[in-house]
Amino acid sequence: MANSIKIALAGNPNSGKTTLFNALTGSEQYVGNWPGVTVEKKDGILAGHREVVIQDLPGIYSLSPYSAEEKVSRQFLVEEGPDAILNIVDGTNIERNLYLSTQLAELGLPMVMAVNMMDVVRKNGDKIDFEKIAKALRCEVVGISALKNEGGQEAAEKAVAMAKCGEQGIGKREEGRGNGERRGLRRAPEVPHVFTGSVEHAIAHIEESIQGKVPLRSIRWYAIKVFERDREIINRLGLGVGEMKHIEEHIRDCEKELGDDAESIITNQRYDFIQRLMDKSLALNEKRKGKATLSDRIDKVVTHRIWAIPIFILSLCAMWWLAVAENGPGTLLTDWANDGFLADGWHLPFTTHECREEGRYKGMEFEDAQEEFAKAEATVQAWEAGEKKASIEDEETGEASDEWDVDEAAYNAAKEAEEPDPSQFGVWVPGIGALITGALERSGVSDTVKSLVVDGAWGGVATVLGFVPVIFIVFLFLAFLEDCGYMARVAFIMDRIFRKFGLSGKSFIPILIGKGCGVPAVMATRTIENERARRMTTILATFIPCGAKTVIIAMFAALFFREQWYVAALMDVVGIAIIILGGVALKKTRLFKDEAASFVLELPAYHPPTVSGVWHHTWNRLKGYILKAGLIIFPACVFLWFVMHFDWSLNLLADEEIEKSILHDLGSWIAWFFEPLGFGSWQGAAASVSAEIAKEQATATLGLVAANMDGSTTGSHIQALFGAVSDFPKLAALSFMVFNLFVPPCMVAIAVTFREMGSQKWGWFAVGFQLFVGYALALSVYRLGVLFAGGGFGVWTALAVVVDLFCLWAIFRPARKEASK
Amino acid sequence: MTLATLKEGERARLVRVSGDDAVKHHLGALGFVAGTVVRVVGASYGNMILAVHESRIAVNEATAQEIEIEAV
Repeated sequence: MANSIKIALAGNPNSGKTTLFNALTGSEQYVGNWPGVTVEKKDGILAGHREVVIQDLPGIYSLSPYSAEEKVSRQFLVEEGPDAILNIVDGTNIERNLYLSTQLAELGLPMVMAVNMMDVVRKNGDKIDFEKIAKALRCEVVGISALKNEGGQEAAEKAVAMAKCGEQGIGKREEGRGNGERRGLRRAPEVPHVFTGSVEHAIAHIEESIQGKVPLRSIRWYAIKVFERDREIINRLGLGVGEMKHIEEHIRDCEKELGDDAESIITNQRYDFIQRLMDKSLALNEKRKGKATLSDRIDKVVTHRIWAIPIFILSLCAMWWLAVAENGPGTLLTDWANDGFLADGWHLPFTTHECREEGRYKGMEFEDAQEEFAKAEATVQAWEAGEKKASIEDEETGEASDEWDVDEAAYNAAKEAEEPDPSQFGVWVPGIGALITGALERSGVSDTVKSLVVDGAWGGVATVLGFVPVIFIVFLFLAFLEDCGYMARVAFIMDRIFRKFGLSGKSFIPILIGKGCGVPAVMATRTIENERARRMTTILATFIPCGAKTVIIAMFAALFFREQWYVAALMDVVGIAIIILGGVALKKTRLFKDEAASFVLELPAYHPPTVSGVWHHTWNRLKGYILKAGLIIFPACVFLWFVMHFDWSLNLLADEEIEKSILHDLGSWIAWFFEPLGFGSWQGAAASVSAEIAKEQATATLGLVAANMDGSTTGSHIQALFGAVSDFPKLAALSFMVFNLFVPPCMVAIAVTFREMGSQKWGWFAVGFQLFVGYALALSVYRLGVLFAGGGFGVWTALAVVVDLFCLWAIFRPARKEASK
Repeated sequence: MTLATLKEGERARLVRVSGDDAVKHHLGALGFVAGTVVRVVGASYGNMILAVHESRIAVNEATAQEIEIEAV
């Protein structure tokens, strides 16, 4: 849109910028009560004005070049030049917010200041004189309440009107239409008189020197940046040595006179100016002064030196219970999604009843009837195969039930059994899986197509969607904590601990999200402004077993470690240990040395979370996860189905012929890589590689590729598979599980890691580090385990010892000298 | 005297902020400039929450030690 009007939305973090943006554009945007939520600039069309683009800039405190957000914002404001600025200001904290406003005003663009949270200001009994502020800052000032949807639209309309006539507030009005010299501006626009004495003198002098080199309307802003010795701006202006020397003299005189460095002088005078302005225009309610706010009182408890961490752990336990506890809401929803909604179908709640019509199921719930039928089927199968005993297996874990005896009488009775009809047990809603299968059957397509659609494409997508309930609950809970303001406190509480291993307190949020899914976890690292801590968090956050990895753990715990109940919980502990020890080791390398020691974070006031805020937050993260199912898992599963069901001459294979498949050959070629880990067979290799598509694929592939092994159930196939590759099947299984949990995350998460790292080099470093950790861990578990189990010492055992010694050295070697001051 | 010596509930006037440039200017933007009065809202293990203007800023001990203060 060439003729569109661009309005930049700029303001402090937590000033309600994104809420206003959503209200103005109606788009679904990420909002959070957490400083620094928006990092990318986002565009939206102003409702009712198709020609107006509202551009949401990251929340910033200043236009200095110290953080990624500030760089993005100022580059946009200075170089692209919006037609007007809509500066949103938190009315309850107006002094601090005006610090940015004075800088924005110096850019010389038409500006409307929207003083937000006026509802709270009124309730507090404070009074703000808009007119005086407008006059001092040379801009329009309006009061709004973004949350209550008051006045936002009017503020935006005012900015549009100003942009259209290039009006620059109520200051000096210029001839001609539009702003800047492209519209024929002959002299610099009026800007606020912020600076005094020798500083103003020096800035005026710099303005003279840089005239013609910068857009006239923003000359004051550039001059101040030159005074501050802003490298980026000085280099861009290309000032000569002579000119610079002259300017430098002026700056030094000021510094000598005021006894401070140039940048601090500017900061101080800005705040002096704001102070003078506030003396005239702000009347705070005397009764409220110095009194502890509700937020302060809450903070007394939640950041308490003793209670802070127990309270935090308690809130985590609540999340765990909601998401993954047995019979908790998360588990119930997951079962519904996996067995009902995405598969065969489900009964409407409150409509189920015991079936009394059919004698066979009399007085029986649907699930019991189903189990009875499954038993009958197993009895028939066993008898026909000439066996005397039968059992059924759990679909998810492959675990076999207790066996029962089979005789002819039982066989004959079982043969009579009919599959229970769900519609007789209540109102039955068919699931998506059943609908797809039904539609395919009716349309009469070949079995190959049916297998492709049902097993290949839909199967993979359904697996991913099956995790949505758990992930949804984790994200919903975190969004709730973020929206009410607690997350900022968590960062503060955890910082003291996390700093010890090179991370930041803010690293905790990505790690928590990582319990649900690694993709949004890696994206959440953006809020960490310290680059080293951010990179380290990106590398380490995905070590926490995510929702998909939980499936691997569940299966192996059921098949191999039924007596070792602690194995499942141990994997979370190992994940946390890797994050801690990995952090300690990385911190000692040259790449992450000399971590800045400071921690500064604004704690936003607590407020009750809004439904829309929490929903936007949750949905934005969940959307990423669901898109992954569509864009990556879908084609990948079709490919996997293909290599599993075809041989090289493209003949369709039966399930038992999987040894002839392309997958078999692909697995065989790389099996050597897994040899030291104890599962160097084509099956182990194929399962591990397919796990990179999506981690839960490891169990599905394992089930399919093990089909040719001895045993009557999938579970026993898999047990037989590990028995065939190793003399220590339990250790090989543990090694396989550990490997798949702690190597690089699925390919979607890897792609996001590369994007967030912003460089190929760092992306490869992250993947390399993760691969090393996963491989080293699996190698040690297997080889040292074999050694202790009496399996002897070999070349690989020696390698494991060497690798472990290296890791211990990396963790415990003394820190580099220059790191400690 | 530095900010790190203050106890919960105490107030002080800022004299100067030293240390790393980026941190110093970030603090400056947040309102940590000479003359500003800050109040310690909460403190634990040397880390503290400060009231500056109307906002609450959390800093750790290392940062608090870089902030020079005087009695109000």
